[in-house]
Amino acid sequence: MADEENSPGSSMHGVTGKEQSFAFSVAADPTILTDSTAKFALPVDSEHKSKVFKILSFANPHMRTFHLSWISFFTCFVSTFAAAPLVPIIRDDLNLTKTDIGNAGIASVSGSIFSRLVMGAACDLLGPRYACAFLIMLSAPTVFCMSFVSSAGGYIVVRFMIGFSLATFVSCQYWMSTMFNSRIIGLVNGTAAGWGNMGGGATQLLMPVLYELIRRAGATPFTAWRIAFFIPGWLHVIMGLLVLGLGQDLPDGNLSTLQKKGDVPKDQFSKVLWYAITNYRTWIFVLLYGMSLGVELTTDNVIAEYFFDRFDLKLHTAGTIAATFGMANMVSRPFGGLMSDIAARRFGMRGRLWNLWILQTAGGIFCICLGRANTLPLSITSMILFSIGAQAACGATFGIIPFLSRRSLGVISGLTGAGGNFGSGLTQLLFFTSSKYSTATGLSLMGIMIVACTIPVTLVHFPQWGSMFLPPSKDASKFNEESYYGSEWNEEEKEKGLHHGSLKFAENSRSERGRRVLSVSTPPNSTPPCV
Amino acid sequence: MAASLLLVSSILISCLAASCHGVTLSSLQKTLIVFVTASPSPGQVLKAGEDSITLTWSFNNSFPGRTDSAYKTVRVKLCFAPISQQDRAWRKTEDNLVKDKTCQYKIVAKPYSPSNNTFSWTVQRDVPTGTYFVRAYAYNSADEEVAYGQTTNAHKTNNLFQVKAISGRHVSLDIASICFSAFSIVSLFGFFLLEKRGAKHSQEN
Repeated sequence: MADEENSPGSSMHGVTGKEQSFAFSVAADPTILTDSTAKFALPVDSEHKSKVFKILSFANPHMRTFHLSWISFFTCFVSTFAAAPLVPIIRDDLNLTKTDIGNAGIASVSGSIFSRLVMGAACDLLGPRYACAFLIMLSAPTVFCMSFVSSAGGYIVVRFMIGFSLATFVSCQYWMSTMFNSRIIGLVNGTAAGWGNMGGGATQLLMPVLYELIRRAGATPFTAWRIAFFIPGWLHVIMGLLVLGLGQDLPDGNLSTLQKKGDVPKDQFSKVLWYAITNYRTWIFVLLYGMSLGVELTTDNVIAEYFFDRFDLKLHTAGTIAATFGMANMVSRPFGGLMSDIAARRFGMRGRLWNLWILQTAGGIFCICLGRANTLPLSITSMILFSIGAQAACGATFGIIPFLSRRSLGVISGLTGAGGNFGSGLTQLLFFTSSKYSTATGLSLMGIMIVACTIPVTLVHFPQWGSMFLPPSKDASKFNEESYYGSEWNEEEKEKGLHHGSLKFAENSRSERGRRVLSVSTPPNSTPPCV
Repeated sequence: MAASLLLVSSILISCLAASCHGVTLSSLQKTLIVFVTASPSPGQVLKAGEDSITLTWSFNNSFPGRTDSAYKTVRVKLCFAPISQQDRAWRKTEDNLVKDKTCQYKIVAKPYSPSNNTFSWTVQRDVPTGTYFVRAYAYNSADEEVAYGQTTNAHKTNNLFQVKAISGRHVSLDIASICFSAFSIVSLFGFFLLEKRGAKHSQEN
């Protein structure tokens, strides 16, 4: 049986992908055989990957990996956005202009576009445990470097370097796919990503409190913020040591087995890349994700300063309000994926697309309201609704991405993730760097851009499932799941049987037809769909 | 910077509309005269936390029909000059004094007296680098601004002085930073090499 589906890193639903809702456990699934000889705390399959996702457990190695993984990612979010709530102090210390602050924000999200690409290769070479530990411990010095910064240029460079650490997202997802069965990996990865993203909110609460404590202990403001940066730095070192000490690459703890899997024929990267970039849907989702994750990262960077200046709040009050934006990730991102699954059960892929459009457009509308709100209560309400819309849209996006392609899923997930960071850099550049308009106007304009750039989701069409406005093709024998996923392989490859994994996936994806699935006759050459 | 000081004050706040939204600067009469002397010498950039300035303010008698009977307290503030407000919306000048962010640093608050007001102020350590002037507001018993005066002209182009902020950096912080960074790198590679060596040993055995 081809190992493609279960080999490390291949079964990526990216972030928050959810093939089955409520799939906390496939322990009772008879099609996945439990290996009863294995001595693990959780029931495992033949590869010793856990079939169960017990959130509150720390069982070694599966759940322990989950917690080490998401907390490492969380720590990197904390340090990347640690400067944001302290900007009112930093801008006076370093004599920054609005342009400098905007450029630093752009720099903080740009670095990881590249580091995420390298991280994939690092995970393949070193294994996810070392890849994660290397990144998190080598970026600790960049966090400590904040104490040296004395000019705008230095500030921008240090924020750029700290931003590299966001690539822990890749090691997090990769590591989880070695530990959890592919049927539940969607929920596991989604939860990990959502909880990691919470770091962007937690930092808005943490840093002002630290700053306040250090100042009360006697430091001047311009020294206190530098000392405050030591805490995220220590978190990096501590998490790195924990990952090295407590983590392991595979359930069996053996890294060399990972390397032996190189015997399985790996796919040609050039082909995988080709099918990713020639699929027009990839680029639509790159744009869309820039308008959900991208605007979330942008808002993490600007919102605390916005509340501080506009409503004359104290630093830690502004930080607390800003924190609720990022902390909403805990539930809103999984919620988006859940809504996607519920919509799919009735309406199939069309339901998923409508769900995404509704959530993301709602987020955009509330962003417009946030910019225009003149009173504090209205502003906070708009911000919370905006956060739910944008973050749920992130979850919903990755409810669809697994279905764009089977062969090129990894590359498409990576491109989409990069699109998110790019969208963040772009929105910060357009709306929050020049002094032409105020931050409030910038937020409203960003909201308008979100609504406008979400419209392309109407163009995403699957011949076998339809799109938002068009039904699926009537010719079910010519345009079905097998032909869609099979079209990524040429005849030569099909003769070698390389496409069997895609065919299997095609069968399972028939659920994306919605309620019509039972009335569809299965193509003659494939086995009946397994539920 | 040396200058003589006179203070002229007068003009009661007239518009009731202004009192609904907050007092506007344009409604106040510039009846206080404020002068600042910086030490040690004129034209020098003042260092925050070290150098000091001496301020004197008094009531300007030369406007007829204006009395200072309503003035109860005077608050003297450090204000940003236009060049330090450029591209920095958080220091913007607004006519409505409630929203105005020009003067963010309080120097001193004193009960009002028409003359003989002096104050020596060491530039605080949290004052950022920039170009400044000094403005004094006179308040009535209801704590509303009724008059003001400043060291510069209406366009804020003369008599400005510069402050250089403290750095915030400390040698001890720099050293701590280097130590922790070194610890992070060394422990990472140490772990890595130890494990590689351990794996080699177990393979050889």
